[in-house]
Amino acid sequence: MERLGLITLILHILIVVVGGFITVFANNIVRSLTGLILTLFGGAGLYFLMAAPFIGIMQVLIYVGAVSVIIFFAIAFTRRAQFGLTESRKSSQYFLVCLLPILPVAVLGYFLVKEITTSIPVPQISSVQTLGKFFLGPYVLPFELISLVLLIAMMGAVILGFEKKRIQMEQLDQAKQEE
Amino acid sequence: MISLAQIPIPLIKIVVGLLGILIFIGLNGLACVYLERKVAGHIQRRPGPFEVGPHGILQPIADAVKLVAKQMITPKGADPILYWSAPIISFAPAIVCFLPLPFGPSLQNISINIGLIMVLAFSSLNVLALCLGGWSSQNKWSLLGAARDIAQSVAYEIPLLLSMLPIVLLTGSLNLADITAYQGAWPWQWLVVKQPLAFIIFFVCIFAETNRAPFDLPEAESELTAGFHTEYAGMGFGLFFLAEYSYMVVGCALATILFLGGYQGPVAPGWWWFLIKVYGLLMVMIWVRWSFPRVRFDQLLNLTWKWFTPLILINILITALVVKLI
Repeated sequence: MERLGLITLILHILIVVVGGFITVFANNIVRSLTGLILTLFGGAGLYFLMAAPFIGIMQVLIYVGAVSVIIFFAIAFTRRAQFGLTESRKSSQYFLVCLLPILPVAVLGYFLVKEITTSIPVPQISSVQTLGKFFLGPYVLPFELISLVLLIAMMGAVILGFEKKRIQMEQLDQAKQEE
Repeated sequence: MISLAQIPIPLIKIVVGLLGILIFIGLNGLACVYLERKVAGHIQRRPGPFEVGPHGILQPIADAVKLVAKQMITPKGADPILYWSAPIISFAPAIVCFLPLPFGPSLQNISINIGLIMVLAFSSLNVLALCLGGWSSQNKWSLLGAARDIAQSVAYEIPLLLSMLPIVLLTGSLNLADITAYQGAWPWQWLVVKQPLAFIIFFVCIFAETNRAPFDLPEAESELTAGFHTEYAGMGFGLFFLAEYSYMVVGCALATILFLGGYQGPVAPGWWWFLIKVYGLLMVMIWVRWSFPRVRFDQLLNLTWKWFTPLILINILITALVVKLI
């Protein structure tokens, strides 16, 4: 059983890493997105391995099922992606892109290995009820703040949409007056 | 060399379950093709398939052989990797969706505490497959179909998810077996009596999520040839087709479990009741397809944003209040 777990872990890490490489090195933007989805999917699998199936499922539901589809919607209908026209990057850019993730990984990795000790050696599956009580009990303030951020983002999107519509209407009115 | 006893039992259970699910999906595909064509025929006052076997009962097998034997063509200018992975991405999550469904009192493959969300999460991957397929075909119809599918699925996923919340509030569980056990054997003990509005909204959203008429805009034959799968031939198309029927069954099975008492029935509860209810709902879906014309796109989006979402939010609020007070 333990060996099986190790094989699954390595498999998932491979999925994450390969997905990341596809995201960075693919010269087609939709292929990059597919790589990103692969990475997110591998991340979901890692959550399952860490005995957090609810978070894993949510990762699949929100990031793979919804967010990446919205990103797809945004990029697939731009001209450049449609015809596969993308400029090739310089090798210095590749170098910088590869350098960028090393900093957060190093900092986080240092703290994870050196500072934080695990509270329980074997992870336990916590039920959705426990999670809910945590969110609405001790963590109620951050939880509500996150929802506030989402609300503001949504309102901003709506206002931007109306702004565009208003400008279009004004232009139409002007065109009519000029006639 | 690993001996047989060293293989953990949960793994064996999952492998056997997956095999069973694959067999079920295949047989279900054959049955649905026959059912669909025969019902369509009778609704339009013609006999439907009649040549292969008695009353055309072997027609789906002939169809399947034709699909398997067809040449698979990659269109010029298409992205071959994404193009051929799209049908697989569409079909593979459908198998996972069957895992937590309780077909009978002891016929549940994995009893997971969050079975309901698991089914939803994996069924939402279908949108991704459709838009990948539509984009990579390098075809205007495919791309338009994919665009329509994204707008439609994203819009209808909201009331679909929300229409399950009243059930979760009432039963206090996300495990599909618990939700079935909460309901009784007789029809008036089923949750559809307590939540009729949620059931109607859920069922309509299933139509939209599985791209069935009257919400089949992503594959509207008369406007877009075949929408996102215009370019697919042979088993590429076959997999999309199987996936669509599988998602229909998953949707109907969820409706059965959440609202119609699952495998519970007045006499002798068991998997037969489950199958009777699921295929009853499937018949309704086929019936609706051949009875109603396709909706316009603005009607489709108005229905979900202006009616379903507010209504189901009010429904959740009332349910929460009632659950809290009683």
